[in-house]
Amino acid sequence: MEQFFYYLKVSWVSIKRAPLPYALTVFILSLGLGVFFANATFYYQLNSDPLPHKSDKLFFPMMMLVPYECADCKPPSVLSYANVQKLKSSDIPTAEAAMYSSDGYLRLDSTALPTPVKVRLTEPDFFHMLEVPLLHGAIWPDSKNRQEIVLSKAMAEKMFGSTDVVGKQLLLDDRSFAVVAVLDDWQMLPRLYDANNGNHVNEVEDVYIPLETGYDLNYLSNTQSQTFDDADYRKLASDGRSKALHQLQYWVQLDTEAQQQAYQQFMANLAEDEKKAGRHPSPVNNQLPAMRNIVAYFGGESGDIKAFALVTLLFLVVCLFNASHLSLNRYLSNQYEFSLRRALGASRWQLQQQMLADVLLMTVFAISGALLIGFGGTALMNYLWPINALFARWDLTLMLFLLALTFAASYLVTLYPALRASFGALNQQLKE
Amino acid sequence: MSLHLLLQSLLRRKVVTGLLLVQLAMTLALLLNSIVLAGQTWQKLHEDTGLDLTNSLTVELKPTTPALRQYPALADLLERQMAAVRALPGVVAVAYSNQPPLQRGGTNGNLYDPDNQERSNINNVPVYQVSKDFFDVLQIKVLEGELPQAPLLKDGEDISPLVLTQSLAQKLFPNGSAVGRQTNAGTVAAVVDDFYGQRNGVNSNYNRIQVAPLYSVDWGYNLLVRTEPGQADAVQAQLAKVLQQVDSNIEILYLRSFNEEHNRLYRNEFGLAVLLGLLSVLMLLVTMVSSYSNAHFHALKRQQEIGIKRALGASKNMIFMELFCENWLNTVAGAMLGAVAALALNQGLSAVVSIPAISWWLPLLATLVLLICVSAATWYPARIATSVSPATATKTL
Amino acid sequence: MIQLKNLSKVFRTELIETHALRQIELQVSEGEFVALTGPSGSGKSTLLNVLGTLEHFDEGDYLLDGQSVRGLSDRQLSALRNEKIGFIFQGFNLIKDYSLLDNIELPLRYRGISASDRKRRALEALELVGLAARKDYHPSQLSGGQQQRVAIARAIAGQPRILLADEPTGNLDSLMARQVMELLEQINRQGCTILMVTHDPDQARRASRQVQIVDGQLSDAAMYDPLAAKLA
Repeated sequence: MEQFFYYLKVSWVSIKRAPLPYALTVFILSLGLGVFFANATFYYQLNSDPLPHKSDKLFFPMMMLVPYECADCKPPSVLSYANVQKLKSSDIPTAEAAMYSSDGYLRLDSTALPTPVKVRLTEPDFFHMLEVPLLHGAIWPDSKNRQEIVLSKAMAEKMFGSTDVVGKQLLLDDRSFAVVAVLDDWQMLPRLYDANNGNHVNEVEDVYIPLETGYDLNYLSNTQSQTFDDADYRKLASDGRSKALHQLQYWVQLDTEAQQQAYQQFMANLAEDEKKAGRHPSPVNNQLPAMRNIVAYFGGESGDIKAFALVTLLFLVVCLFNASHLSLNRYLSNQYEFSLRRALGASRWQLQQQMLADVLLMTVFAISGALLIGFGGTALMNYLWPINALFARWDLTLMLFLLALTFAASYLVTLYPALRASFGALNQQLKE
Repeated sequence: MSLHLLLQSLLRRKVVTGLLLVQLAMTLALLLNSIVLAGQTWQKLHEDTGLDLTNSLTVELKPTTPALRQYPALADLLERQMAAVRALPGVVAVAYSNQPPLQRGGTNGNLYDPDNQERSNINNVPVYQVSKDFFDVLQIKVLEGELPQAPLLKDGEDISPLVLTQSLAQKLFPNGSAVGRQTNAGTVAAVVDDFYGQRNGVNSNYNRIQVAPLYSVDWGYNLLVRTEPGQADAVQAQLAKVLQQVDSNIEILYLRSFNEEHNRLYRNEFGLAVLLGLLSVLMLLVTMVSSYSNAHFHALKRQQEIGIKRALGASKNMIFMELFCENWLNTVAGAMLGAVAALALNQGLSAVVSIPAISWWLPLLATLVLLICVSAATWYPARIATSVSPATATKTL
Repeated sequence: MIQLKNLSKVFRTELIETHALRQIELQVSEGEFVALTGPSGSGKSTLLNVLGTLEHFDEGDYLLDGQSVRGLSDRQLSALRNEKIGFIFQGFNLIKDYSLLDNIELPLRYRGISASDRKRRALEALELVGLAARKDYHPSQLSGGQQQRVAIARAIAGQPRILLADEPTGNLDSLMARQVMELLEQINRQGCTILMVTHDPDQARRASRQVQIVDGQLSDAAMYDPLAAKLA
């Protein structure tokens, strides 16, 4: 230990002898790491998997069950109610839920000011499949039309000032609903269950009502809805259920390989039957992407983040080059001292220990700088791309990654010059 | 100073020179692509939208009670709101619309000539249901036909004729006038000037407008306002209050000038351009630091050599120029590598964002910028180097 | 050729003032071979540097070819050095990165001589020191004696009127030292004035004149007895 402090002291003395080159090295290293880290934060969070143990077991079936003919079309990325019913005829999935989202106004009574809310209209399996934590009450047993509402913890607190509000009544768009359950804190990032059109970067909803209630009460989708025939989008209860009005996400849970194959087969059979019935004019194109791949499937990966990722990586490389260049200069100016130490009997091993102390010190300085610059960079990116603001979070994994990266970078920046300085021809340097 | 001697001494320091070259190349590559991207964004932000961006406002709002979202209560609300806004000083015209122009996407549908559905079908044409003042608010000139003055209803069905923008009309009916022709969505009554509708459409100038009542507004609706020149800010400041006074059962989702809407369209591009620009500046800074340290270190390391040269009759200016030439040589060599790297980065970027190709004069410009920065950074260390005393430098220990 | 009038030089630090040269009076005529001797620290190297215009002096005057160097600009001094003075150092001071030919061409380059002329003269100089065959070698590939011969070639390539040599044989063994001395004498015979700092009495005796410097002051060379100096 005492030896280690001695090494640190030697490092410190050598820094103090030439503070400017050292400060510049640390500055450049921090700059490269900080800028890289700011972008890596978004990149990592946007590509993270909120359900790592399950995202390869949840699937979104999509088929060309549409009244038009198209040879090379992708199947619609939202499903019609009628098509979901057809898919639901299978009992292969362990769980299944159709869903969409809408807007509404919530108030405690008719005199209160309305609170705008995002509503998800869904089925009970939604909560089981996505492992949504429940604080109070129970989810509806099925998705039949009932004026029962599930609130997020935050919304319950906002409306009632407390979370234990099961059984209480409130108004959703002037209709009375009973609170049946309150969720615990839950934020699925990215929100993979609704990833179409880049919606996965949004927050989860605060209010949940049964799917059938949404159709009966004519809650229109606030994201994508498409009609492929003369369906009137304002008549959800009738046209919405029978015609080609597409607005639903539909997820099935297929736990085993066998289930997945069986479900593929089921979809193939369904397509054949529909073809025979004349309701499938296009060539068969069945898709069953897993939740894990859904963002890529919908092409929702952020090009800007990716482009900037490419550039920040380049920048990091440049900074590394530069820092090692600066560091090389510094070491070469110290070469005489290095040689002197070796002449006085320091072994290569001891010199390497010394180098390690240098690396540690550099890591400490560089990571402090990198965190500062990273923080500023994230704030700037939040300002410029507010859409990704939810993803500007640092967690332990990310911090450990930064630490490892900084150490590796410091090592790299110190290693090469130090090797050159310590293994150069001894007598020649002393003579110079 | 002879090129051959410079090259010789550079080649003797392969690693240091190599590092510097790689870095210069990368800086140039990034600088070039940032310039290109910034240029593209600037162009987009200054494109012709066919609209008066500074003197137009849009308010998006939504009734908070279901009854007010449906015809006929909604029609009454719209009339009251428009009347109140029209009465505001500085307001020239006001209209409602189911959606504003200058958007990424929104309500749209396909449009085709029923006689020629296969070949004439155009997807994602924005569909506007508007009050008759819409054209006045946006100052859109009628090129052909006559604007419908009131909604047309038949058996409770809305059969209002269509108004198409010029480029859409020409695309749909390439042979002859569109006025009076039938489409899958109704008869064409008029053709008007182009204006920027939706970015995600086939063409941002394709727009289909109907003078029609709004039957339900579950997705909200917009009031579009044109103000007298210079009055936009004053009107914008009062709009929210006025609309709340007309009926408080509304939520104002946003209130923006057309300029803001237009800027929001290119927000991502703008963000990327700013970030890349900032990164380029940082990169130049890093390059300057590196040039500085390189020249500084170099001067220290070669004190003896400089001393010898001084003894042999090189004046301070000659040594100064020699150091500069060496840096310039590095920079130009780095810039050449950089031009290649820039093309590679351009390719890489074009895979994820839309970026135009690099024009021939840009590398020259970027190299010049690089040269100036490198020269500035070399100045001080070169000055120090030239003041080396030849007597001490040539002394043997 | 060279005329020093009452020339003095002082090194100042915060604490002490060292009189490196005191009121030096020296005249050297064209074609002389002068040996500068004296104990270490006596100021002989400083005197040589002043003569070579590498260092400034504080008082007195220095006339080179009848022209005072006082008040000349850096550019003028550099040109003067380049044209009239050749240097030979104890540590050779060849530029490591350059080939022998490039090293010798360097002063000619600063004079702005054309490439072909430069090469011809450099080769002639190299020929004179017997190393023409190795013109593309680098200094590190040569022995010390060979390096010093290259340094001499470099010094005379520009046909200077004066050659200043600072212990030119100090780093060489006796055989090589003799070769170098013979070379210098040959150059001197061709009319070049030489001033050489040396601590070797044998070499000093080979010069046409000896000048001794002690504590920054010239003393009468004739009275200098190395044996007595040692005893003292």
